[in-house]
Amino acid sequence: MRKRRIPLLEVLMLAAGIVFVSPCLLAVLNSFKTLREIVLTPMALPESLTLENYVYLFTGVKLARPMLNSLLMCGAVIACLVTAAPMAAYSLMRRRMATGKVLRVFFLAGLTIPFQIIMVPLLQQFRMLGIQFTYFALLVHYVSWGLPLCIFIYSGFMATIPKELEEAAEIDGCGPVTTFWRIIFPLLAPCTITVVIFWGLWIWNDFMQAFIIMGTSKGQLVFVQLWRFLSDKYVKNWNHIFAGVVVLSLPVTVLYLLMQRRFIKGLTAGAIK
Amino acid sequence: MARGTTRAARQKRLRNARASLILCGPAVVLYGGFIVLPAILGFAYSLTDWTGWTRTPHFIGLDNFRELVRDTRLFDAVRFTLFETVLIVLFFTFASMLLAVVLDKLRVMKGLIRGLFFYPYVLSILVSALLFQYMANYREGAINTLLRAVGLDAWTQDWMGDPRLVPYFIFALVAWSGVGFFTTLYLANLQTIPVNLYEAARIDGAGPFSVFTRIQFPMLLPTLTTNSVLALITGINLFPQIVVTTQGGPGYRTFTVGYYIYHLGVLNNRQGYAAAVSFATFVALVFIAAIQVALLRRRQVSL
Repeated sequence: MRKRRIPLLEVLMLAAGIVFVSPCLLAVLNSFKTLREIVLTPMALPESLTLENYVYLFTGVKLARPMLNSLLMCGAVIACLVTAAPMAAYSLMRRRMATGKVLRVFFLAGLTIPFQIIMVPLLQQFRMLGIQFTYFALLVHYVSWGLPLCIFIYSGFMATIPKELEEAAEIDGCGPVTTFWRIIFPLLAPCTITVVIFWGLWIWNDFMQAFIIMGTSKGQLVFVQLWRFLSDKYVKNWNHIFAGVVVLSLPVTVLYLLMQRRFIKGLTAGAIK
Repeated sequence: MARGTTRAARQKRLRNARASLILCGPAVVLYGGFIVLPAILGFAYSLTDWTGWTRTPHFIGLDNFRELVRDTRLFDAVRFTLFETVLIVLFFTFASMLLAVVLDKLRVMKGLIRGLFFYPYVLSILVSALLFQYMANYREGAINTLLRAVGLDAWTQDWMGDPRLVPYFIFALVAWSGVGFFTTLYLANLQTIPVNLYEAARIDGAGPFSVFTRIQFPMLLPTLTTNSVLALITGINLFPQIVVTTQGGPGYRTFTVGYYIYHLGVLNNRQGYAAAVSFATFVALVFIAAIQVALLRRRQVSL
C-alpha cells in the first residue's frame, strides 16, 4: 500500500519540476528555429535545425570578446577576493587587535547596504578619480562589494580551525603573515571554493552593476552586450534572444550539472544564520 | 634588563601593527573607500540641490526631505514596492516551506527534482527576465499561443502591458528565480530535525498534517525568520528586474523605490534628491527589518 503511493508523489513532483523549468527548455528548442517558426509554432520541434541564430551571435552581436572580458573580470575579482578577504577575516578573528571588534561591526554593516544607496555617489567618486567607465573602476567596485560577504563567510569557517596550529607556528618563529599563508590559508580551501563559485557565478551573471558603472560606451561584459543588442528594440528578435540566452547560460548550466551539490551549498552560504 | 624587555616588547608591537596593516589594510581601504564612503557621501548629497554631474552642489538643508514627503510619485512607488514585497515575503516564507516539506518526502530522484527547482536561481536576472517576457508577450508569447491553440482566445491577456496584471508578472518573475533558494534553506533545516521525533509521531498515529503542524513547522521557525527577512530585503530592493523588463511602465505603474532612485539619479540628473530618497528608504528598511526580527523572535521563544 505504502510502496505504491510513494512513486506517485515522485512522478508528480518530477512533472511539476519539468513544467517549472519549461521556459528554459522552450528557449533551447526555439533557439534552433527561425523567427517565423517561433511565432507560428512555439512548442513544436524545429522543422529543420538552423544554426543561423548562433552564428549571428558571434558575427552580429560579436559576443566572443565580451565573453572573454567577463571571464577575465571573474578571474581578477576572485583573485582579489580570496586574498584580501581571508587575510582580513584571520586578522579579525584570531589576532588580538585593539580595533578587532570595531572592524568586525564595520564589515558586518556592509551586508545591509543596498546598491541603490551607493550608486550615485560611487559614480561621482569614480569620475573624480578619473577612472569612470573603465574596467578598473568595475573591478574596484566588484571587489569592495564582495568583501563584506566573503569576510563573513571566511570568519564563520575560521571558527572550525583549531588554534593550536597557529600557536605551534608562532613558537617556531613564524610571523602572523607567514603563519596565515603557510598554515591557515590552505585549511580554508573548502571556503575558498564556495567563494569562487558564488562570486564567479555572480559576476558572470551580473548585468545591473556592470551596466551602471561601465555605461554602454566602451568595452562590455557579456550580459550588458546582449542587452544592448537585443533588448533595446520594439520588435524582439526572439530567435537571437534565445540563442544568446542559451550560449550565456551554457557554461553555468554545465558546471551546475557537474557540481550541483557544491553549487547549492555555495550559493546558500551567504544566508545569515 | 627592564630596558631590554621594553625594547623587545616595542619591537614586537611594531611588528604586530605592521602585520595587521598587511592583513587588514587592503580590505579596509577598498571596502571603506568604495562602499562606506559613498554611503556617507550619499547622506551628504541628500542635503544638496545637486543636478548634473558637472555642476557643483549647493547646500540646501532639509529641502529635499521636505519635497520627499509631498512627492506623490514616490508614494505610488512605495505603495507598489510594498505590494510586491508582501507577495514576495508571503510566497518565499510559506510556499517555499510547503515545497520543501514535499521535496523532503521524496525517496528517489531527490537530487534531480531539487536540482530542477533550484536551477532558475543560477541563471542571470537578464536571462530569466527575457524568458518571462517571451512567455508573457501578447502577440507572440508562449502562454497566449498555447491558449489560442486550445481555443481559449478569450483568456489571452497582455500579461506585461496590462496595468492590472503587470504587478503579478513582476512577482512571478521574482518568485520563479528565487523559490529554489528559499526552499533549499528550509530543506537544510528539515534535515536537522531528529528522526526519533518522526518515529514517535508515527507510533502515536499522527498523519502527515499533524506531523507538519506539530513537528516540522515549529522546528522550521528559525529558518522562517531568516527567510522572511531575506525575502523582505529582496522585495524592498526590487530594481534590476524592473530595468530589464518594464522599465517602470506601463506609464509609471511598475516604479519601485529602487527604480525611482535610478530614474532620478542616473537617468534624470537629480542626484541630490535621489540621494535623499535612497537614504530615507534605507532607514525605513532597517526599521522594518528590526521590527520583523523582533516579532518573529518573540514568537519563536513562546513556542
